[in-house]
Amino acid sequence: MNLLRTLATAHWPLGEPPPPLPGFSASTFNPLVAAVAERCLAAHYGEPGEPRRTGLLLASAGGDRATALAIDTAAAGHRMPPLLFFQSNPNAVLGHVAARWVLTGPVVAISPPEAAAPGEVPPDALESAALLLADGDADHVLVIAAEQAEAGGGADRATAVLVAAA
Amino acid sequence: MSSSTPPADRPVFTGLGVLSAFGTGLAPLAAAAARAETGFTEVTRFDVGRRSTRRAALLPDPPPLADAVLGAVSDACEQSELPSGAPLLLALHSDLRTREVAAEVSRGAVALGLSGVARVYTGACVAAATAVADAAALVGSGRHPRVVVAAGHLVEPGVFAAFDAGRALARDGELRPFSAGRGGTLLGDAAAAVVVETAGAAAGRGVRPLARLAGWGRSGDAHHVCRPRPDGAGAARAVRSALARAGVAPSEVGYVNANGTGSPMSDLAEARALREVFGEALDALPVSSSKSVHGHALEASALLELAVTIGVLGGGGLPVNAGWLGPDPEIELNLVLAGPRADARPRCALSLNSAFGGANTALLVAAA
Repeated sequence: MNLLRTLATAHWPLGEPPPPLPGFSASTFNPLVAAVAERCLAAHYGEPGEPRRTGLLLASAGGDRATALAIDTAAAGHRMPPLLFFQSNPNAVLGHVAARWVLTGPVVAISPPEAAAPGEVPPDALESAALLLADGDADHVLVIAAEQAEAGGGADRATAVLVAAA
Repeated sequence: MSSSTPPADRPVFTGLGVLSAFGTGLAPLAAAAARAETGFTEVTRFDVGRRSTRRAALLPDPPPLADAVLGAVSDACEQSELPSGAPLLLALHSDLRTREVAAEVSRGAVALGLSGVARVYTGACVAAATAVADAAALVGSGRHPRVVVAAGHLVEPGVFAAFDAGRALARDGELRPFSAGRGGTLLGDAAAAVVVETAGAAAGRGVRPLARLAGWGRSGDAHHVCRPRPDGAGAARAVRSALARAGVAPSEVGYVNANGTGSPMSDLAEARALREVFGEALDALPVSSSKSVHGHALEASALLELAVTIGVLGGGGLPVNAGWLGPDPEIELNLVLAGPRADARPRCALSLNSAFGGANTALLVAAA
């Protein structure tokens, strides 16, 4: 973290369902990402306003498994819900966050091999954010770590950290 | 104003591996693109009987995805005569198989002498370009002497059905970028890999670069979950960032391999972005979308199109913008159409990509 300065941190409470996100269905993943991003951005920026050169970096080891399963199931069946088209990749919800907060930096999604511990973001996501900041296309980066509950149990969890170069 | 950071030591490409609907290697792909011989065919790999579109650019007998990626990595490493220990940045679709495929690629990469998969990029149609930009930043800042970037996408039933349901696929079975009557995109198989290292590191081991990665830029539209910003301002910023980082004037760019998915809205936004950056010079700048020949390879698309663009610098001829029916009155581009042309071999060329979430990338390559 010595390359980075933390501007704000937010967590989504374990076990608390995030508010529904209009336009997204079939999965808690996208509402979870949007909710924790909203908390973190509000903690530092207050309200959406002027365009900011803030990048968005979503790190999820498991990804949006519920959407992926819904797509596989629908493809084998008779009808594919059209909304699953755009949420078939993790960038879509980042587009929602970027549009709401007028964030014009790079939009990046990565899948680390292991999920971060609850309340943390994967170390590689922070390294990736530091590289983005050093590269010059962003002034801040919002790093979001989100994981859905495993099939065997557990709970959805998400943490977001807004960082700048140290 | 961009504050894109120029690298301390310029990145170059020293190895390239490609697998596309035209088979292994850049040569058959580049030849098909220069002759507008499209790779689209009826999908028989899975049932498309309930889909509105039934065509894609497919390998007749594709290997498993991890094998396809590793084949491209192996070819790139062999061409580069790559020393051991380089990390691999990998772009894949995010689904229930991502971790398994990445682990398999990582094991295979170690067997090839790499240090394994260091990061997996899942950011849709800019995933591979993002990985290339990160590779350039990594080698340019001295963090690694060389990095391998790879990507793979094989057309499969889930994504095909989702894109079909979202009305993103061309129902007439042709991908017609920037053309009147364009109705959407078509998917394509691809695996590709490049070796990125500093010019100094390549020279130090006596390897002749294939091309320079002169500049790169990334931006977000801040507009919508899946629609591009209509005025193209986000994509224009990515291009400006790449040009600024390279210290290259717009007039020095000799060819643009556009994102050009065949989507009515996206192609128009991209044409506006190009007009914003290049102004009147756009009237003479050759533009095409090689997707019109090899299809949209999603997470692998940017790397496949980068390979095609590097091939252009080598004198393989400009890729034709296939599927052309006639001009869209709102789009004024000097499209590379089939037939005799007298374009000079470009010394500098752009490869552009955009994705859901408003993500934009620009990669600027130059002759070595």
